[in-house]
Amino acid sequence: MLDALPTILIAASDTAHAVADSATEPARSLMYTPLMLLTRLGVGVLVLGVLLCLWRMIKGPHLADRVLAGDTMAMLVAGLVVVLAIKYDSSLYYDAALVVSILGFASTVAFAQYIGASRKFADDPAQASADGKGQTGEEGAA
Amino acid sequence: MTTQLILDTFAIFFLIAGLFFMLVGAIGVVRLPDVYHRLHAASKCSTLGMMGLLLAASLHVGTGDVIAKSIAVVLFLFVSNPVGSHMLAKAAHRDKAPQWENTLSDELAKDKAQANVGEAKAETKKKSKTRAA
Repeated sequence: MLDALPTILIAASDTAHAVADSATEPARSLMYTPLMLLTRLGVGVLVLGVLLCLWRMIKGPHLADRVLAGDTMAMLVAGLVVVLAIKYDSSLYYDAALVVSILGFASTVAFAQYIGASRKFADDPAQASADGKGQTGEEGAA
Repeated sequence: MTTQLILDTFAIFFLIAGLFFMLVGAIGVVRLPDVYHRLHAASKCSTLGMMGLLLAASLHVGTGDVIAKSIAVVLFLFVSNPVGSHMLAKAAHRDKAPQWENTLSDELAKDKAQANVGEAKAETKKKSKTRAA
C-alpha cells in the first residue's frame, strides 16, 4: 500500500492529465479569458445589487417598497444564474433562470393583490370596525 | 475560430450593458425618493439588464436550445414585468403610499375624487327623485 502511494499521488496531480485535458478542450477564442474575468466581475456586481435590494427590503417604509425590492432581487438572481451559465458554458442553467423569473412575477402579483385587498377593507368603515372588534375579541380570548 | 472571436466580443459588450443596467436598477431601488420612482427604476432596468445578459449568453454559447430558452425568458419578462409593476403601483396608490413632496400632480387621485363626486351627485338625484315621487 505504502509503496503504491507515490504512484497514486502522481496520478492525482494536475499535470498528469494536462495533455488529455487539452486534447478534449474545445478551441477557445482570444476573447475567452476577458469574458471569464468579466463573469467574475458580474457575479460581484449582481451580489452587490442583491445586497442593495436587501437594504431596501429591511428599510422600506411601505409594504410596496419591500415587495418591489423582492421583485428586483428575483430579477438579479435570475441574472446571476445567466452569468453562471456563461461561466460554466452549460445550457441547464437557463431553466433555473426561467423558474426564478416566473416565481418573482407570481410573488409580486400575489403581494400586490394583498396590499390592494387590505386597503379595500379599510376603505369600508363598517368592515373596518368589524375587523377591529374581531381583533380585540381575539386578543381578549387569547 | 474567428467567428467565435467576434461572437465573444459582442457577448462581452452585451454582458457589460446588462450588468450596468442591473446595477443601475439596484442603486435606483435604494436611492430614489418614493415607491413610484423606485418602481420606475426597478422595472425598466431589470428588463433591459436581463435582456442584455441573455443576449450575451446566447451569443457565447450559441446552441439552439440556449437561444430558444433565452427567447422564452425574454418574451415572458416583456409580458410579466409591466403587468407586475402596474399592479404593484396601483396597489400602492390604493394603499395611499406617501409620495415625494415635489410630485407635481396626482391625476389618478383627481379622477377618483371626481368619480366620487359624480356618484354622490347621482345618489342625491336619485334621492330627490324618490322624494318627489
